[in-house]
Amino acid sequence: MAAENIERTRGKTEHHVDVSLWFALLFLLCFGLVMIYSASSYTAFADYGDQMYYLKRQAVAAGLGLIAMVFVSRIPYHFWERFSLFGVLASAVLICLVKTPLGVESHGARRWIKTGIPGFNLQPAEVAKIAVILFLAVMICKMGSRIKTWKGLIVMMVAPGVLFLMIWKITDNMSSALIVLAIAALMVFVASPDYKKFILVGFLGVAAAVGLVMLVKYTDVFDSFRATRIRVWLNPESDPDDKGFQTLQALYAIGSGGVRGKGLGQSMQKLSFLPESQNDMIFSIICEELGLLGAAAIMLMFTILIWRMMIIANNAPDLFGGLLVTGVISHIAVQAVLNVAVVTNTIPNTGISLPFISYGGSSVIFLLVEMGLVFSVAREIEYRGY
Amino acid sequence: MQKQKTRQFGRISQKKVLVLFFLVLAAFIFLFARIVSLIKNNEMEYQKQVLSQRSYDSRTLPARRGDIVDSKGVKLATCEKVYNLVVDASVMTTKDGKYIETTLEALGQCFPQLDISEIRSFVKQNPGNQWHVVLKKLTFDEISEFKALQSENKEIKGIWFEEEFRRVYPGGSLAADAIGFTRTDNHGLYGLEEFYNKELNGVDGRTYGYLDDDLNLQRTVKPAVDGYTVHSTLDVNIQSIVEKYLQKFNEDHKDHHHPGNGAENLGCIVMEVNTGNILAMASYPTFDLNDTKDLSALLGGVQVEQVDKENGYFEIKKTGKYIDQELLDSMTDDEIMTNLNYLWKNYCITSSYEPGSTFKPFTVAAALETDSISTDSYYECLGSWQVGPHNIHCHNRYGDGTISLKTAVAQSCNVAMMKIATTMGAEKFSKFQQAFNFGLKTNVDLAGEARTADFLRGADEMDPSDLATYSFGQNFNVTMIQLATGFCSLINGGYYYEPHMVSKITNSSGVTVKNIEPRILKQTISASTSEYIREYCKAVVTEGTGKAARPAGYMIGGKTGTAQTYPREGNDFVVSFIGYAPADDPQVLVYVVVDRVNEAKQDNVGYAREIVRNIFTEVLPYMNIFMTEELSDKEVKELEERKLENTLKYGKAMENPDEGSGETTQGEQEKDPAWKSFPIDPATGYRKDPSTGELLDPDTGDPVKGTYSAVDF
Repeated sequence: MAAENIERTRGKTEHHVDVSLWFALLFLLCFGLVMIYSASSYTAFADYGDQMYYLKRQAVAAGLGLIAMVFVSRIPYHFWERFSLFGVLASAVLICLVKTPLGVESHGARRWIKTGIPGFNLQPAEVAKIAVILFLAVMICKMGSRIKTWKGLIVMMVAPGVLFLMIWKITDNMSSALIVLAIAALMVFVASPDYKKFILVGFLGVAAAVGLVMLVKYTDVFDSFRATRIRVWLNPESDPDDKGFQTLQALYAIGSGGVRGKGLGQSMQKLSFLPESQNDMIFSIICEELGLLGAAAIMLMFTILIWRMMIIANNAPDLFGGLLVTGVISHIAVQAVLNVAVVTNTIPNTGISLPFISYGGSSVIFLLVEMGLVFSVAREIEYRGY
Repeated sequence: MQKQKTRQFGRISQKKVLVLFFLVLAAFIFLFARIVSLIKNNEMEYQKQVLSQRSYDSRTLPARRGDIVDSKGVKLATCEKVYNLVVDASVMTTKDGKYIETTLEALGQCFPQLDISEIRSFVKQNPGNQWHVVLKKLTFDEISEFKALQSENKEIKGIWFEEEFRRVYPGGSLAADAIGFTRTDNHGLYGLEEFYNKELNGVDGRTYGYLDDDLNLQRTVKPAVDGYTVHSTLDVNIQSIVEKYLQKFNEDHKDHHHPGNGAENLGCIVMEVNTGNILAMASYPTFDLNDTKDLSALLGGVQVEQVDKENGYFEIKKTGKYIDQELLDSMTDDEIMTNLNYLWKNYCITSSYEPGSTFKPFTVAAALETDSISTDSYYECLGSWQVGPHNIHCHNRYGDGTISLKTAVAQSCNVAMMKIATTMGAEKFSKFQQAFNFGLKTNVDLAGEARTADFLRGADEMDPSDLATYSFGQNFNVTMIQLATGFCSLINGGYYYEPHMVSKITNSSGVTVKNIEPRILKQTISASTSEYIREYCKAVVTEGTGKAARPAGYMIGGKTGTAQTYPREGNDFVVSFIGYAPADDPQVLVYVVVDRVNEAKQDNVGYAREIVRNIFTEVLPYMNIFMTEELSDKEVKELEERKLENTLKYGKAMENPDEGSGETTQGEQEKDPAWKSFPIDPATGYRKDPSTGELLDPDTGDPVKGTYSAVDF
């Protein structure tokens, strides 16, 4: 399809319109809205007296996000180059604002700041993600061949590393921090011609993680909130009423859905048993209502989305464009994979939302802005005749 | 675009993006496999788990208990929604207890009666507790301030309001005995509330969940059916008039002879003669239906105690003491409950007593009906009559002389009654007692009607002295409702109507579910006998012992009654008057019993007579019964003082107001009885019978200490 689209493009004035990408994106967005309504109507009515409370807010955010996306896609992406450093600094400032009275607390964590728009609070971590994508794309272009050296790699990771620490320590949000780090690592991986270093770092990372889990499992060295999460991950039934509750309920939802699911709207777990059912845990409600087939459809849509973006990256007019798209791919892929991994208890429970589907205004708006960047890159692809 | 410097997204990077894609794909495939394995290994188990943690809670939806209304639709008992304040410590202590103080502050602001520090310590000690009721039965107004605060401030958490219905009696103590009340679980106690408990309660609804064939949870709601409305025959206006005069009587006589109420019991029944509808039923002492356990209602009443007997039976006995604050404070909870139970009883249907002379018209009616006597019979009364070993006195110890049957009733002669009963014989007498339902229940639709079968001997058990004393209403017990209902049939042509309190039952939307029409149970006597009885009872008022009962402007019939209570050596009396109006076409009957008035001298039927007169004076104009008698100046003045507009209207319409004819007849009939000539004993202040040395009351001529006698007017 991609080839056809490109072949049909005649002359510079006609732009590359990726129908498959649009389809996958809109499918995920609309499907997300349907599932948010299904998962949240019960608790929304119980808490706010309005079944569509969450749906309405998410629909407004998605609408704003689409407008922003179209707007960004019309701006040549090089326009953003000059804001790369500013973006990183701005997100650092925003992260610090969380600690000021502008900060907003929700769900027991202080991760949002007031925007002045009623009903919408901004999550600085979302700004940081897009800032890191832009910053690294610019940095890698400037670094040139120095990226091959260890020194180059480390210099590259300084800014993302600082943001990583800030998000983790200041907003106490390790999952977002890890995503920022992962985006940076994947972008550097794509830009660097080397494999060995990454395999080495990856191996070391996995070894460290396994070592940590072993330590937590067999010793009492760590006794923190995250250590408890790891213990619960290893054995959710050990604490079914408290720490393991959410994980277990998510597993019950997935397991009880079976292959064909209970039918749209028929979830029982959403009836106040599964906390955050419209948010991080929405994938388990999808599994419960639509079964294995629904889960497969979602994963397929993400695969198509990423595949189409990969085509765009590979056909990008220049390195900067390609890296931008790679950053967005990394962002969406990491969040989608980690979210499903959390819901299926493949990794310890941590708050990661499913892109385009989970409830969350900041998240969907910034994801759509990132998609705007991707479409902007796609617009400048020229038919090169291969 | 800086074409020269632009670096391309090189082949290596393109390959690496592909690698990245495949990594993601691999991750998705791995996760998919994981979901497959989850489903494969755990589907059934998790389905069960999901179903088991659902609560198919079948929650009860409370039905609203129906109202009790009077004949005009005025609410006597109704329900209002109230709220219980519930503290949910488990919610309040979430988020490290940040909600506790804001919530408690709001509570303290809106409910000053709460002890906030106590709640604080409860919440801290029981952080898992979800249901702690701290205030009960708050009205909507009382909670609205807090609700407003709660909607403003999101940090007020862990407070719920549980809805409930509360029984409310707008009249307070009005008709308390007849209406009864409810326990907190909506179970009626006493009176209409108990008798019509089932109809009033309705059917609770239910909401429950179940699983259909596809294991989907379905919810079903079976709505509550609200209770029926019971339309009573009571009329709040008449009831209020009755209670006003009972209250007044109590005020007038309380603390006179001994500290305490004006009488041990006062009872009054107002009944429609031709339907058996009860228009008013009251007794004193009474209590507040909205606060049934208010102990101040016990003050002034006689104290009772529970005497346990074998086999779990017990008896309620009077201790002879009157309850004052000091005694009340010294009583245990059980003793207080015993006394409250005694207070809550409806004197008109649960207490039995010897009727005394009000029974005499029954004796006469039975004798006439069986042709044992004729209407022109004459009886000689010498003051007493020898029955077997007993010499039974007439109230007038020195004899009424030779009197007609009419005069025998009017002057309430015991000797004449004994002679009549003896002529009739025990067999017939007993048959007629049964015909009038003495010894049987009347089946009035009120809970707690007393069984009186054991207080009455049948013909086979009766000896001549029983028959003799029964004839003038002594030695057997009746309830007020028995006597009033029987009396109605005496004067209405012989139709015995089942007495009842309820005329109609409607459902919550006003549709009639059941109509209760007046029900004639039997014909007790013939219409002609009834006419004679009316004539004799009218004579009681025109020329006999009931003269003072006649209300201004009306002619009534009636009968007085005085009965000495057990033990006979005591000086305690139950005095009563049963009257009906108009005398020739009876419509309404008023029966008042004064049990042991708080005076040194209790045997004055005037106590009951006065109450009946007061009630008639107000009730008859209210019932639109026209005046037939001329008003004297004194009566006009009295009516003016009472400010009864209706009565006055009728009074002024009268032309040529003549001096009351009643006074003239009084003068004619008044002749000094023999005892009035006896000298007064200076030591005691009583008259002394020179032949026997017996002390007599200086005003009434009654013996001060009864021998075996019924002292009757």
